[in-house]
Amino acid sequence: MRLWQVIKAVLAAFIGVQSEKNRQLDFQAQTPLPYIITGIILVVLFVLCLVLIVNYLVAF
Amino acid sequence: MLAKIVASVFLFVITFLPRLSLADWAVNMTEGVTDVSRSVYSLHMQIFWICVAIAVVVFSVMLWSIIHHRKSAGAKAAQFHENTTIELLWTIIPIFILIAMAVPATATLIDMYDTKESDIDIQVTGYQWKWQYQYLSEDLAFFSNLATPKEQISNLAVKNANYLLEVDEPLVIPIGKKVRFLLTSNDVIHSWWVPAFAVKKDAIPGFINEAWTQVEEVGIYRGQCAELCGKDHGFMPIVVKAVPYEDYLVWVSDKKTIIAEQEAAAARVWTMAELMEQGEKVYQTNCAACHQPNGEGISPAFPALKGSVIATQDQQAHIDIVLNGKAGTAMQAYAAQLNAVDLAAVITYERNAWGNNTGDLIAPQYIQSLLKDK
Ligand code: HEC
Ligand SMILES: [Cu+2]
Repeated sequence: MRLWQVIKAVLAAFIGVQSEKNRQLDFQAQTPLPYIITGIILVVLFVLCLVLIVNYLVAF
Repeated sequence: MLAKIVASVFLFVITFLPRLSLADWAVNMTEGVTDVSRSVYSLHMQIFWICVAIAVVVFSVMLWSIIHHRKSAGAKAAQFHENTTIELLWTIIPIFILIAMAVPATATLIDMYDTKESDIDIQVTGYQWKWQYQYLSEDLAFFSNLATPKEQISNLAVKNANYLLEVDEPLVIPIGKKVRFLLTSNDVIHSWWVPAFAVKKDAIPGFINEAWTQVEEVGIYRGQCAELCGKDHGFMPIVVKAVPYEDYLVWVSDKKTIIAEQEAAAARVWTMAELMEQGEKVYQTNCAACHQPNGEGISPAFPALKGSVIATQDQQAHIDIVLNGKAGTAMQAYAAQLNAVDLAAVITYERNAWGNNTGDLIAPQYIQSLLKDK
């Protein structure tokens, strides 16, 4: 469940909106490392998604 | 007071409402004459109305809130720090609106960039300050210069309807055919823009950009350079003549004949008077923008030719700089732009006009032999 909490925090950061409750929860973590790594992975995934969409559209 | 306001609003509305038939409104962009230009226009209108709707909603809510919750009516400000639901809403709703706009915009963009399977390829090269058109499959190339007389530009004559939007040699393309433009530049960045085709593409030295159009209606379409490119940026218009395919073929062969005749003319002997007359024309079209009609230039950017050492003494240096230009300066290599007769004529003109009375006559034949050696 910790993983899900981190992913939720990163997705909230993508949108730019986070509830105060979750923010408190996130800041109880011992180390920011999981957040940073998940952030990088999700950014790469997001970019790959965009590349796929563009390739798919341009193929028309 | 109130009656007065209502009356003036009413007056305003009945004066301006009939003009809201948008396409006829001179302030709005043109609908153009191609599929692409029409879809660009409808995109523009769709997004415009979406913006209007958003503005109406947002400002209505705002106005209503200001009036309804006014202090004089006893309103108390709510004290809260954040509201995740509202924040999410005002983030996610715009995302959907943006996606709704991006989908048709992307479809149009993909269409605009699809330069495949063209019928005719034309290379468009920007020069300071004119355009060159090369029909790649036809071995046909020419320059298109501003045709508006200097007197109109200096307010010495009445300006005509196509003031600064007229050229000596328009680009001619056939209707109903996919014409691909390969855009590049000889000097600085220009941009080839014809609103009726919704084509606006940068012409960048060392790069080739592509654009295309397929015109449906016969007509004359005008455009301009859309990238600030120096002193005469506003004086390098674009004129495109769209004609039926048969007329286009006739035009191509006529144009080739004319160019061949001009080249053949270099072989005959030209008199001083003939060269001076031709030279003045060539000079006014190609050189006067920088060196000025009176040959005095614009110090310090463009040197005077009147009384200059090169134009009055060193004949070889004069021929060399006109044919080959001077790298790193605005002085271009005219060997690639003018034919032997025009080159000989303009050099002869410069050596004998404005009191440069050298009496030198440069024979077109001699220039022809120099061009051949290249
Ligand atoms: C875009 C501006 C421009 C145009 C158009 C132009 N020139 Fe020049 N020209 C220059 C500049 C700048 C120089 C100075 C180059 C240098 O730094 O030596 C020059 C130099 C010259 C010189 C040498 C003058 C001297 O005494 O040093 C001659 C001759 C000349 N141009 C002829 C022409 C002719 C003929 C044409 C038209 C066919 C023409 N130029 C068009 C910009 C221009
Ligand atoms: Cu330009």
